[in-house]
Amino acid sequence: MVNANPEKIMRTGNHEAATNDLLSSLADKMSYLQTLSEAIQGGDDRLVFQLIDNERYAQKVLKAKHSESDDSNEALVTDVHNWIAEFLSKRLIAYLNQVYPFFYFEQTGLGQFDFYFGNWWGRRRFGSLDVINVGFNFDASEYSKLERAFELEKQNKRLNSDEIDALSQTNDHLQDLIDGQAERDQRKAAIRQEIKQLAEERVMPWEVAKQKEHKEELMAELAHLTDLDEQANHSYQTIKDNEKKILALSKEDTLISYEMQSIVAKFGTFDGFEEKNDALYRDYITSLIATGQVGD
Amino acid sequence: MTNMTEKYETQTFYPHAQTEDEQPADAKKAASSLSTTGRLMAYSKQLRNSLNKGLDFTAVLDTLIATNDSEELLTATLRLAEFELDDAYLVFPQQYSRADYYLLFLERLLELHQESSIILNSSDHNKELYHEYPGVNTAGYFVFKVTEENKYGAYYTEVNTGNVLFYLDLRQRILRFNSHDLTNLLVLDYGERFDRNVIQMFQEQFLNIGWYLKKDYGFDVDFNLLDPVNNALYPISDPGVPQQALDRLFIKAAAVNYMLISGPHGEAILDLAEDVQLSLFARDGRWVIAVADPNNEVSFFDVLFKYDFLHDWYLENRNSLEIRADNLYF
Repeated sequence: MVNANPEKIMRTGNHEAATNDLLSSLADKMSYLQTLSEAIQGGDDRLVFQLIDNERYAQKVLKAKHSESDDSNEALVTDVHNWIAEFLSKRLIAYLNQVYPFFYFEQTGLGQFDFYFGNWWGRRRFGSLDVINVGFNFDASEYSKLERAFELEKQNKRLNSDEIDALSQTNDHLQDLIDGQAERDQRKAAIRQEIKQLAEERVMPWEVAKQKEHKEELMAELAHLTDLDEQANHSYQTIKDNEKKILALSKEDTLISYEMQSIVAKFGTFDGFEEKNDALYRDYITSLIATGQVGD
Repeated sequence: MTNMTEKYETQTFYPHAQTEDEQPADAKKAASSLSTTGRLMAYSKQLRNSLNKGLDFTAVLDTLIATNDSEELLTATLRLAEFELDDAYLVFPQQYSRADYYLLFLERLLELHQESSIILNSSDHNKELYHEYPGVNTAGYFVFKVTEENKYGAYYTEVNTGNVLFYLDLRQRILRFNSHDLTNLLVLDYGERFDRNVIQMFQEQFLNIGWYLKKDYGFDVDFNLLDPVNNALYPISDPGVPQQALDRLFIKAAAVNYMLISGPHGEAILDLAEDVQLSLFARDGRWVIAVADPNNEVSFFDVLFKYDFLHDWYLENRNSLEIRADNLYF
């Protein structure tokens, strides 16, 4: 490819030579666009990928240490990347459907796609597809949940096991509070009776302090029981709220367990999945070469 | 059988001692201008009319009991149900009620189709007819309950529990099943106590009743959750999206290795064994349940008995999922 650096052209100083350089440069650009146009018309996706990002192609596919690529021609088409992505997406998504059968793509705009993990109820939006670079932009939060679920699996735990256990325990406790109402009512009646008796009782002067102490103990217990009553009154709503939370967490655990099963079935491990993601560009170009997919 | 003595006292007729109230207007007018002989003639004529009416009644009753023609059967039932047997001249103390004729009609209808498991019994104690079903006759018995506001309709009711299973109107030709009480009686109560084949018998009898009414007389039938055809939609009571119920189904299904999937239009789809598919989706703004199978023979009711997790799921989420019945009648 001809070097079309404008600074160099300026430095020649010679008008005629500069004009020739310009014409040469324009011819080069036209040739680039012509080649790209033909690649698109001919359905040569591989060549399109090479033309729009030669450096990436050289690094990933040819394993070149550093290429002498010049991206000025590539800059000519950056404003039409969405159209190019649209063009390239058809064959790419067909390939991804094979490799990642659990990803479901939904077009959100020209050349733009989101993908969902699975087709099950409540499936999660897992990120968007970068067609030009043949890669996934994973939703960081959803991705990290999945990653963490794989780690927790080694301890025989699900992502939300601990939180669900904690909420369940809270609910058990609150339910006990509600169930204990009758018992507390009995105890309160007994205490009130006893306090009443104490008030009526005449004691020796040296017993007054002791009696007072006893009364204070009873008052404290009564206050505590009333406090528990208050808590029990609010418990019903809290239990409902917690049940809702538990449902949401269980649902998430179920979703993630399906995701994990999908990954294990296809890649064996989460590492296998990540390796495949990292090698996706090269693998895809290689598959284009291997299947000689030119034209449909 | 209803003893009608509360309504009309059987009494001796005294031609010369009529009170104003007891006399029909025309007889009164005639009596005032007639001789004794004339009065006796008029009385005799009235009595003959009443006796003829009684004979006419017995002929219709014989038809109801014995006819093999389904058109005749319905006509006879309707006539009997509306028959005013008693008049001022003649009172029949022993009579059956409209509820009894409806029971008899159903029993005869199934008999005409050689499909009846129903035992039609008569109770000496309550002087009424009732239905029993083999295998569950110690648990309950069934009668029609009539309401004041509707002259022709009647509710098929299990007497011990008070569960109202369907509404039948032979005049308007309407049959409506009641999802709520069917669930209470057959899924909850009998479902716990009896074998599946007992439930199946009820189900078949009820379906047969509906089909024969539809086929023989063109009844408008809502089978509700018993309806096995694929295009039957079971509307649920939740006015919005049954989100929690769906999430619970997703979790419950996963626990027994079924996957609730999300369809292209936001519907929830559960593929069960033998190509049976349960789905929930919005139709005209309200959510419905549908059950499809290759032979058009599986209803939502069947599914509840075939899959424990769906049985539990439905009962635990009834506040949201309960199949709606025709609110004109229930």
